[in-house]
Amino acid sequence: MKFRPLMVSVLALLAVGGFAPAKLTPEQVKSLPPPAARRVDFAKDIKPIFEASCVKCHARGKAKGGFNLTSRATMLQPSDSGPAVVSGKSAESHLIELVSGLNPDDVMPQKGSRLTAGQVGLLRAWIDQGARWPAAISFVKPPPANLTPRRPDLPPAKRDVTHAVDRLLARYFKEHKITSPVLVDDRLFARRASLDLIGLLPSPAELEEFLQDRRPDKREALVAKLLADDRHYAEHWLTFWNDLLRNDYRGTGYIDEGRKPISRWLYSALATNMPFDCFVAELINPSTTNAEGFVKGIVWRGAINASQTPPMQAAQNISQVFLGVNVKCASCHDSFINDWTLADAYGLAAVYATNELELFRCDKPTGETAAARFLYPEVGAIDPAAPRAERMKQLARVMTSPKNGRLPRTIVNRLWARLLGRGLVEPLDDMERPAWHSDLLDWLAEDFVAHGHDLRHTLRLIATSRAYQLPAVNLGELAPTNFVFRGPAVRRLSAEQFRDALGTLTGVWFSKAQLPVATNEIRSSLVAADPLAVALGRPNREQVTTSRPSVATTLQALELTNGDTLSRLLARGAEKLLGPNPPPGAALVDRVFGQALGRPPTSGEQQLALALLGQPLQKEGVEDLLWAVTMLPEFQLIR
Amino acid sequence: MNAPHHSRRDFLKTASAATLGALAAGFPRQLRADDTTEKIQPRADTLIVLWMAGGMAQTETFDPKRHTPFEKGMKSADMVSTFPSVSTAVDGMSFSEGLERIGQVMDRGTLIRSYTAGDLGFILHSRHQFHWHTGYAPPQTVACPHLGSVIARTLGPLNPAVPAFINIGQRFDVNEGEELKAFTTAGFLGSEYGPFNIPFPEQAANTVRPPGGMTPGRFENRDKFYRKLLAASPVGQHGSDYQKDSLLRSLDNAHRLLSSPAAKAFDLELEPLANIQKYVPGYKPGTRYDAPQDRFGARYEEQMIGRFGLGCLLARRLAEVGARYIEVSTEYIPFLNWDTHENGHTRATSMKQTIDAPIAQLVLDLEERGLLRRTLVVLASEFSRDSLVEGRPDKLVKDQVTVPDTIEDLKNYGMHRHFTDAGCVLLFGGGIKRGHLHGVTADERPCRTLQDRVVIEDLHATLYTALGISPKLSYEIEQRPFYVTRDGLGKPIGSLFA
Repeated sequence: MKFRPLMVSVLALLAVGGFAPAKLTPEQVKSLPPPAARRVDFAKDIKPIFEASCVKCHARGKAKGGFNLTSRATMLQPSDSGPAVVSGKSAESHLIELVSGLNPDDVMPQKGSRLTAGQVGLLRAWIDQGARWPAAISFVKPPPANLTPRRPDLPPAKRDVTHAVDRLLARYFKEHKITSPVLVDDRLFARRASLDLIGLLPSPAELEEFLQDRRPDKREALVAKLLADDRHYAEHWLTFWNDLLRNDYRGTGYIDEGRKPISRWLYSALATNMPFDCFVAELINPSTTNAEGFVKGIVWRGAINASQTPPMQAAQNISQVFLGVNVKCASCHDSFINDWTLADAYGLAAVYATNELELFRCDKPTGETAAARFLYPEVGAIDPAAPRAERMKQLARVMTSPKNGRLPRTIVNRLWARLLGRGLVEPLDDMERPAWHSDLLDWLAEDFVAHGHDLRHTLRLIATSRAYQLPAVNLGELAPTNFVFRGPAVRRLSAEQFRDALGTLTGVWFSKAQLPVATNEIRSSLVAADPLAVALGRPNREQVTTSRPSVATTLQALELTNGDTLSRLLARGAEKLLGPNPPPGAALVDRVFGQALGRPPTSGEQQLALALLGQPLQKEGVEDLLWAVTMLPEFQLIR
Repeated sequence: MNAPHHSRRDFLKTASAATLGALAAGFPRQLRADDTTEKIQPRADTLIVLWMAGGMAQTETFDPKRHTPFEKGMKSADMVSTFPSVSTAVDGMSFSEGLERIGQVMDRGTLIRSYTAGDLGFILHSRHQFHWHTGYAPPQTVACPHLGSVIARTLGPLNPAVPAFINIGQRFDVNEGEELKAFTTAGFLGSEYGPFNIPFPEQAANTVRPPGGMTPGRFENRDKFYRKLLAASPVGQHGSDYQKDSLLRSLDNAHRLLSSPAAKAFDLELEPLANIQKYVPGYKPGTRYDAPQDRFGARYEEQMIGRFGLGCLLARRLAEVGARYIEVSTEYIPFLNWDTHENGHTRATSMKQTIDAPIAQLVLDLEERGLLRRTLVVLASEFSRDSLVEGRPDKLVKDQVTVPDTIEDLKNYGMHRHFTDAGCVLLFGGGIKRGHLHGVTADERPCRTLQDRVVIEDLHATLYTALGISPKLSYEIEQRPFYVTRDGLGKPIGSLFA
């Protein structure tokens, strides 16, 4: 797909296309704003104009139309349409003609507001006075953000602030005048941690045991116990990775063998807690056929746009998932929204190309051949002349090299977002943006590397921090630009968490897993999506999904209110709860509340529920009780 | 405005939900419409798409050519139309035999004969259907929204108690079902704008009734209990938060939709039997058309006729209560229905029988109710067919059917290859010219487009323009504009508007 900027005039594009401009007529010169009648200072007068209106396209690594405003020397080099600035002669400088808007079809800047007559006057005077530009000032491309590994020092521990995350956050909270509120109670913590780490509600027995535990470090112990549960951990995080890696049991492409599942490999990698660097290397450069689905991509039958070939899909997905970089635009043309160019995207795609890879701009051949390289050559090189297998090996090595500080930052940011509701960097796929706490991001990333790229280590670290145990805060989907971290966001159960919670509550699971698992409790991550899962937001995994929308929609609510999938499940659940010898009504109500909400019903709730159930207990009443309790925000939200 | 059951209170409630959905349809993917595009006065409020799934052969339907009757030993290359032509209500416009009733309402509509499908290489039906329904060919880097979702997102519901995008007649547990799902979605616009799927129209009422077996009384009782429980909850009852509000509002919307008077529109049993029989000749109350489709099943034709006929009737009823976008499909199942890889002649006969009566009746009914003026009805297919050419005459693609040079057997008589160089689209109502013909195709096969070629971008631009949506409209996704016609370049075909 080709994305054009909102306001590109064809004429404006032609204008930079390489025709030397005609000299201005005397009338035209007269119509230019007059030069300012004073001494002009570059730093004070000119630099702000360049920064506001020019450097986005003509400096910091870009030189649209061949005009490069990085320094005085580059400015004086001829652009595609000849010299832009003739020192001492503003009326003969093409730059002045363009910014004055003499030709309404050919005005600079192309986007944003035009220069005022006063600004043009300053530029004219500056050029007329010799275009002085101190050598110390230049608009060079800044180094990529969040790339170089950095391990900030931990601030000292104080009283109850001993955890690394909290020590890093202490000053932040002080600066934002956030006084540490009390942490959430044990019930809430157990529910939150269990749903976040293994995707399941704690059973009443587990919860009771936790509540009775008197050890001061029982929360740490609970987190450790949850993370040690290999099977449940794998079944929960399978969903996260399936979304990221576009993996599913069903989907487009399978009919033509244009796609390969990696489910078995993934399940095993998660269950055995494969170190993340090995995990990434295996996905990028699969040593077995079990993991090759990710870089194979999704191949539809027929002719494919050049920006959607399998090597290009691999480039897009590797960049997005592991580096938080969007090269989707750049796989068709130089990006309008970031600094990535067509050559960058093709450089990464060329790693996977089976033949010589020609650059196509907007699906038209350019005649140029792509040379394999990494998006950040400063991290490491790939030999473009090497065979494909060797290039893939080199890419895996560069990606997981200790010099690539982006890889650990991207994944710890995703883990943080998963547990706290919002990333340290947002959007999660735009890791060139600053974190709201860069020391915390950088420290977590380095700590993750130092602990052998252990995902569970970082999850444990985050989940045992005071920050994670703060009361949940209300955060809309559109987080404000001036975001301040005050605690985890209220989140909605994912489709899988919701279905699995019903499994725990009713004992009704799926009947057959798509993977060999040694359990009868078949969770939703182990089966293809059903209508309920789709309605609740399980994506079809055509594209990489790094965050699911959590807003509740009418179609979802319809599926919950009268959909077959849920109503059949509740009917079976009611039968199971009643069993051959139905329990007394009060016991059943206690059980449903205890299991679903992690607490006993209040006497008011107990009365309401018993009135609904009637005597003797009927299956329909139990179904309706289950429905109503599971529709409660208290059930559906993670607080 | 044809939304008779439209109350202000309803509107306010749903508007807030829709706005919320719009604001939130994909954090961090901030969704924003570019509102700098031109303002267009809408001619229509509702769009009905009649989808001829599987590739409807144009020379056997709305663009008949010289009749070449079946003879043992005839050359495949000599086969042009396998049916005689019949006249229509419009002078100079003939249809293939079996489409007489639609022919009789052509004075209310426009026929395009020059629709040209995309060049997508080795043909996969669902890929062309994706292209037709979104304007983009898969794979794509973002989840492209369906035409119906774009309309639902841009215009909102016409009546808030009726889902804006209703999709009738297609099930998804068929081969290529995953590919169908890939475009039958709101994509990045967010599921608030997704399709309300009704695979079996005779069961439409179930989609707006309490779940299986639940009486209305019990349904209301369950809801009351829920509200009491909510009020009695010791947790989070003070104040509000975004997630909770969103959840409760969605449940309110669903409940209101299920108990709205407009929900009666879904119940075909409320339609007088005589009317139903105009759509499905010989219809008997209570008949179900959800048998698993088996190519050799004895009741296959009856199922097809009943299902599509009721689909058209349901579309009319939903248009009456203010649905915004309705699609009725003849259903895509590989090698069935319009997907004629063999027996093309025989199968075309039964497909024409399936669509002729209900489509004509739909147009007449909408007209009689005064709705045709503001309802645009469109019939289309992903591409058409030829006896020999696969793809385009000047750009052939890999064959999928073996066609013998000479025809000995009736099963080889018909249009069995996928042809992309000319195809038919019908348009009725919604400010479109009446009795109009657009496009010229060759008289001899391959019957390619000679004049006034229409591509998907321009067809979409025409539909959007009729609804008052600019073809240049874009939504922002991952900081990039996504245009409702590819690159914002779709041009409405001005000559089609009255």
